[in-house]
Amino acid sequence: MTGNHRRSTDWPVATGRAGPGVRLGVRPAEASPLIGRVLSADPDSFGNVSERWGREQVLALAPDAAAVRAAESVARPPKWDGLGGAGDAIWGECRGSGARPYQVCAELTEPTFLCTCPSRKFPCKHALALALLWSEGAIPAVAPDATPPWAADWLAERRARAGGRGDRGDRGETADDLAAPKTPDPKTAERRERRVDDGVAELDRWLRDQVTHGLTSAERASYQLWDDAARRLVDAQAPGLAGQVRALAGIPRRHTGWPERLLAEYALLHLLVTAHRRRAELPAPLRDTVRARIGFTVAQDEVLRGARVRDRWFVAGTVDTERDNLIVRRVWLRGRDSGRPALVLTFGAPGRSLDVSLVVGTTIDADLAFYPGAQPLRALVAERHGVPGYEPPAGTGIAAMLDEYAAALARDPWLDRWPAVLREVRPARGDDRWHLLGACGTAVPLATADPWRLLAASGGRPMTVAGEWTPGGLVPLSGWCDEGRVIL
Amino acid sequence: MTGWAEHVTAALLGTQRRQAPRLPGVAGEGDDEAGRLLGQAALLTVRRRAGRRPGSAEPLAPAPAESAPVVPPAAARRIERILAGEHARVLPEWLAAAAGAGYRVPAATLPDLLERGRVDRALRPLIARAAGRRAMWLALRNPDWAYLVSEPAAQPEAAGGDPRVWETGGRGRRLTYLAHLREVDPAAARAALRGTWLSEPAADRAAFLATFECGLGPADEEFIEEALADRAKDVRQVAADLLARLPGSAYGRRVAERAAGRLRTEPLRPGRARDQIRIVVEPPDGGTAALRDLLAHTPPVTWTTLFGLPPAKIVRLPIADDRGKDVHAGWARAAVLGRDAEWARALLAAGVVADEIEPAVDLLGVLPAAERETHAAELVRGADGYRGLIRVLDRVPGPWAGELADVVLGALADAAGRADAVRYLGRLCRLADERLSPGVADRLVEITRRHDTWPLAELTETLRFRRDMMDELTGAPKATARPAEPSE
Repeated sequence: MTGNHRRSTDWPVATGRAGPGVRLGVRPAEASPLIGRVLSADPDSFGNVSERWGREQVLALAPDAAAVRAAESVARPPKWDGLGGAGDAIWGECRGSGARPYQVCAELTEPTFLCTCPSRKFPCKHALALALLWSEGAIPAVAPDATPPWAADWLAERRARAGGRGDRGDRGETADDLAAPKTPDPKTAERRERRVDDGVAELDRWLRDQVTHGLTSAERASYQLWDDAARRLVDAQAPGLAGQVRALAGIPRRHTGWPERLLAEYALLHLLVTAHRRRAELPAPLRDTVRARIGFTVAQDEVLRGARVRDRWFVAGTVDTERDNLIVRRVWLRGRDSGRPALVLTFGAPGRSLDVSLVVGTTIDADLAFYPGAQPLRALVAERHGVPGYEPPAGTGIAAMLDEYAAALARDPWLDRWPAVLREVRPARGDDRWHLLGACGTAVPLATADPWRLLAASGGRPMTVAGEWTPGGLVPLSGWCDEGRVIL
Repeated sequence: MTGWAEHVTAALLGTQRRQAPRLPGVAGEGDDEAGRLLGQAALLTVRRRAGRRPGSAEPLAPAPAESAPVVPPAAARRIERILAGEHARVLPEWLAAAAGAGYRVPAATLPDLLERGRVDRALRPLIARAAGRRAMWLALRNPDWAYLVSEPAAQPEAAGGDPRVWETGGRGRRLTYLAHLREVDPAAARAALRGTWLSEPAADRAAFLATFECGLGPADEEFIEEALADRAKDVRQVAADLLARLPGSAYGRRVAERAAGRLRTEPLRPGRARDQIRIVVEPPDGGTAALRDLLAHTPPVTWTTLFGLPPAKIVRLPIADDRGKDVHAGWARAAVLGRDAEWARALLAAGVVADEIEPAVDLLGVLPAAERETHAAELVRGADGYRGLIRVLDRVPGPWAGELADVVLGALADAAGRADAVRYLGRLCRLADERLSPGVADRLVEITRRHDTWPLAELTETLRFRRDMMDELTGAPKATARPAEPSE
């Protein structure tokens, strides 16, 4: 499936913010509301097509690939009776292997599902199939008072519960799941600080060793070299550093210019080590940046208690990276009014679904709460206002994007990805690789093995391209051309 | 910025062998060699990243403007799904329907589509028709897709108009040129072929001559007569078929004379009434094959004249010595060659060719579309058991609509309800899923409700998918029409 998301390219990711120390289950909190809201004035069409979820979005809710296949085979009208929908709710009875049909109901704002089948998967195939049928427009709208009693009961119960919990109810529940213990034992915290100090000191020695003896041996070294160092950092409770070190193993094998690349990464790690050692001298925001990159997490609750930024956020693109059986999804946002960049990270393990509430190409009116740091970037969607819309992004020129990145580097020297939304750029050739050429006549290289969708969408003419700017070039993620939005 | 290369060299060799260069203005802070190298390298790395200047690149010549509009948004989403592997077998139907309705595929899907065409040759003509000019523009930039450039349908203007194509083009484009010329100016096409006839290889002579089927007239007779004496058997065969289809040709008269001597009527029982007659055959030297061939090239009107009876009566006459099968097969071929609907109708109605499926199906092709379904349904009804049914249906091209669809639906319902027919049901469904008219999807849903078996459910799903697909492509007002694809 050419879905909404792409696998990452090979530039090593500074996963400090996303280390394995973070526990799973972010989705329900961050995937708050509203993509699928049915706001239909026309009862025949039941929901506007653009407001319905796309098929990929529904399938992305599936807990695993088997559930996707199962759901597709159940999403057929002959298997269903009494399909209907009103407002944000849809329902139907699915004839399964049991004597009685399963009653399936979904509330699409959240989304939440109810199904009477005994499956322990959530959402089960029947619930997914119901949502699929809805995404295909196969569910007729009915008057709200025609809701079957069983569905009406469940929906009423759900709404009562949601109301009772208040706005933050859901979030409080999942924050338990997710964040570090609420009131950390000071002794535990102190012990961890000491271990991290030791781990960082050892990493410092290891880095010095590498350059003392020379990097030449790295070309033939096994992954073991980096894995061992990374494992010691995991033991030292510095998962952020561990992730960064582990990611280095691929560099000598994959890149022709590997010595430069490896030295740059070692040097930046050394800088991080130095910054950690001298953290007392750093301004508070930069200290937060350093801590986050080392692998100290900040509880979501704490982030949500901080200042929020409301804007109309353009969802510029998503990238999925897989590491240690954990899928990290980066969703890049750009504030339309503030021009501010933001990064929403979600994590999924096999069997868990990733956040699908941020759809590439849409613009959401929302409050974001930023994690602390010298160059705040990572954020949580704290609250949404209204339904997402599609409007072409504004974008900047190439020079402005580079200036902006330089300014951000001055605040956070470890920043190796930056969301770029470039307007009026077209594909071009230079130095034997593909570039994006701006209206001003200057160009930046593309960092992608497959530029063809971009080429096809542009036809060689200027268009708006959103992507991740990295030291290796721009990774294109989405674009706007005369035929509308494209996922690249 | 100088110095970076020296740092890389020092790091590669190791600081124990090569001293790290000194950066002016950077305090060494009493660090060891390795620490100093890493610190300076970090500074340089961030400086290089922040100080990066845009480069330059050569823009591409933009793709030519499109003449056809892009498909509607719903169809655009569906082609993405099909290309992602969902009901992948309907891709040809989608492409043909899109091109037929005057649309082109969305630009962003071109890379996936061209990739499909790379591995599946059969798709190429369809891609060429539906993909628009940007596909050609892309194909010129990616050697994997270069096949599109030589695909005749991709440049109908060039293939139609430019006589140089005939002199210098490849076989495919010359064939297209000639076929096009036969449509607009048969005499010019004949002159063109005559001019190069002696230098063409045998296979090409046969293929080129076959284009004379279009615009065939008495003026062609002399040239085709010459081809009848060709060295190559294939060419002679094509020539004979063409002449047989040319009313009043000398060849037809010659064959008719020879054939007339081979068939005669005699009273069924000596001394009985004149209407109780049978046909007696005197086979030619070549035996059965020669008899069939002779009859195939005899204009059917020979027999109506000779026997003084209408075709419907003639085909029901008893034939002596078990030669009925050969005579009927010969007549069937003659009816096909001569596009003689009356004979085709008579032969089908008499049921005399039902044993041989291919000739029967060929006869269907001679009938007007409205009659075709009725006679096809008749063939299907007459089939012997499920095995026979599958044999017939396998050869009846789609779309199966009207009475034929009724019969097929009946057969499906019947097979689904019988335990002993389970193994045929899968085959039947597989045959039906691309050919059964999507218009009967709802009736199939009803059948599936009664018999919920897997192949039937699959078939229903495919049909539903195809129906939605056709609605999306044909529901909108038709755009600029394109030349229709010659039927196969």
